[in-house]
Amino acid sequence: MSGTTAARCGPRPRAPTQERVPPHVTASSHPVAPAPATRGAKSAPAVASPPPPIQSTVTSEELRALALASGLERMGVRPPLRQYLSDLWGRRAFTWELSRSKAYARNRNNYLGQAWSVLTPLLNAAVYVIIFGIILETGRGLDNAIAFMVVGTFIFRFFEHSVTGGAKAIRGNTSLVRAIRFPRAVLPISVVLSELVTLGPALVVMVVVSYASGFFPNYAPVPISWRWLLLPFAIVLLAVFNAGCAFVMARWVAVAPDVQNLIGFAMRFIMYGSGVIFSIQHFVGNDVVARVLQHQPVAVFLDLCRACVLNEPSIPMTWQIWVWAAAWAVVACVGGFVYFWRGEERYGRD
Amino acid sequence: MTEAELDFEVDPEDLEGLAPPSRELGGPSLVVDHLDITYRVFGGKKLGTSENAGSRSLRRVVGRGSGHVGAVQQIRAVKDISFVARHGESIGIVGINGSGKSTLLRAVAGLIPPTSGAVYAAGEPSLLGVNAVLMGDLTGERNVMIGGLALGLSRAEVQERFKDIVDFSGIGDFVYLPMKAYSSGMGARLRFAISTASTPDILMIDEALATGDAAFREKSKARIDAIREQAGTVFLVSHSLATVQAICSRVLWIHEGNLVMDGPTDEVTEAYRQYVRGRAKKR
Repeated sequence: MSGTTAARCGPRPRAPTQERVPPHVTASSHPVAPAPATRGAKSAPAVASPPPPIQSTVTSEELRALALASGLERMGVRPPLRQYLSDLWGRRAFTWELSRSKAYARNRNNYLGQAWSVLTPLLNAAVYVIIFGIILETGRGLDNAIAFMVVGTFIFRFFEHSVTGGAKAIRGNTSLVRAIRFPRAVLPISVVLSELVTLGPALVVMVVVSYASGFFPNYAPVPISWRWLLLPFAIVLLAVFNAGCAFVMARWVAVAPDVQNLIGFAMRFIMYGSGVIFSIQHFVGNDVVARVLQHQPVAVFLDLCRACVLNEPSIPMTWQIWVWAAAWAVVACVGGFVYFWRGEERYGRD
Repeated sequence: MTEAELDFEVDPEDLEGLAPPSRELGGPSLVVDHLDITYRVFGGKKLGTSENAGSRSLRRVVGRGSGHVGAVQQIRAVKDISFVARHGESIGIVGINGSGKSTLLRAVAGLIPPTSGAVYAAGEPSLLGVNAVLMGDLTGERNVMIGGLALGLSRAEVQERFKDIVDFSGIGDFVYLPMKAYSSGMGARLRFAISTASTPDILMIDEALATGDAAFREKSKARIDAIREQAGTVFLVSHSLATVQAICSRVLWIHEGNLVMDGPTDEVTEAYRQYVRGRAKKR
């Protein structure tokens, strides 16, 4: 910004105006930043130029003492974790409004409007079912491959969008960050919340499609079950986990925007490593690798949701899977939040 | 592109109350202590490398100075600025484009963290900027809600003031259209109305008033006076010296990130005006 003009002005001759410190100013400013030698080379003729920077006479200590004596608070510093959390809680209405508005704004520019929040994942699932389920037959080892893939793609989409959205949470909202002061953790949280809002109707469609797929020949029925009632709890755990991921991504991308280019690859890797469209158990021969893949968080959440909705003998509803899911959610969310908070004072400078 | 863009146009409306009402100043409301802001900017050439960059083609492709790979530069936008503002004071900030005015304002509002130095403020500063688009895809109505909540009002308080905000901004039924459909003046007016919906301790205005029409300027000046009446502090960044003279009692002149002059409005604006005229002649 300022550097470009600096090069042209050259060294400044004494200013036409007298330098003065007005009586009502308690403190004024200090020494000139030494201009690099290259700038001095292009010497400008003596045209009007601004007065030299005001020499400071007041030290930091005096200013701090004055500020504290007048009961002023220091700005732009990271608040302690406890206060940060309570600030965040104080802004819950703002967070919620932002999430709702974002979810709503997403499909405003289309004729079909909000219908797209259901149509997109549905079409997405249809693509995978046709290519992988019907043509490539990756559904081997499953009783109902359609329902398996539909749940997989819907749930994975929630994770994927939370992470990609979280990555843009700070950098994509620079104007908001530079306009209003609020705990920046509001932004990644609102990304996940707005994804959750869009997911709501999609979940109903997901369950209905899974149920309907049971009427196809060669696909096992998906009976209506009490386990469906557990789905919302599984989704809440997943949302908590997603928030943790969104915190980490938001800070990474705020510091190094290049990371954003890698997210697509990482997502594809995670998608195939989590058995979104095939059963890990059935396709991965090596027992150790299969175990590791099945216990990594995304696979855990996929299995958890499938255990809630489907009736696959290979994916039973066990208490262990709930423990795994809860543990991943807590670890990701707490770790991600602390990591994000530690960068708080940096957001918005770039 | 001229950097010395300056609005010499003086509306009679602005001149009427030319001398800002002088009043007793309170204690310090803002202390800026040796503030320094360094930006990281991605992309673009390193300054001062244009002469020797073309010498080697390999360097041009992969070299750090080339601007294609690894082009990150540090820009020192605010250099060691210190000053103290008092309750009831309204301070104008002038300077040519790119001198660091807006960065200073944002840093003082606590929105851009200082690289070194510190800012101490009483209460929560509220910044009002032309560029601070809230959410263009959403209606003005939703933006009023988001903006109000972001400023720390409760939902009920925003609803209570909604009519006031819309009336003050004077945009009428446009409030139900997406903000991207607004003219720049309408957007600025709505933002001004939102930012001043709660009485901030420190109000910062970034060139927002220039976009309003004469009637709106009159109203906004009245509101600014009301804020100062309640012992708030007002900062105004503007290229319109007429606006600065009408509103401010003290002016800071920022040049290349340095504070070069700090004093009563008439003295500083006069010096600044001479400087800008000199620059314009030179070109």
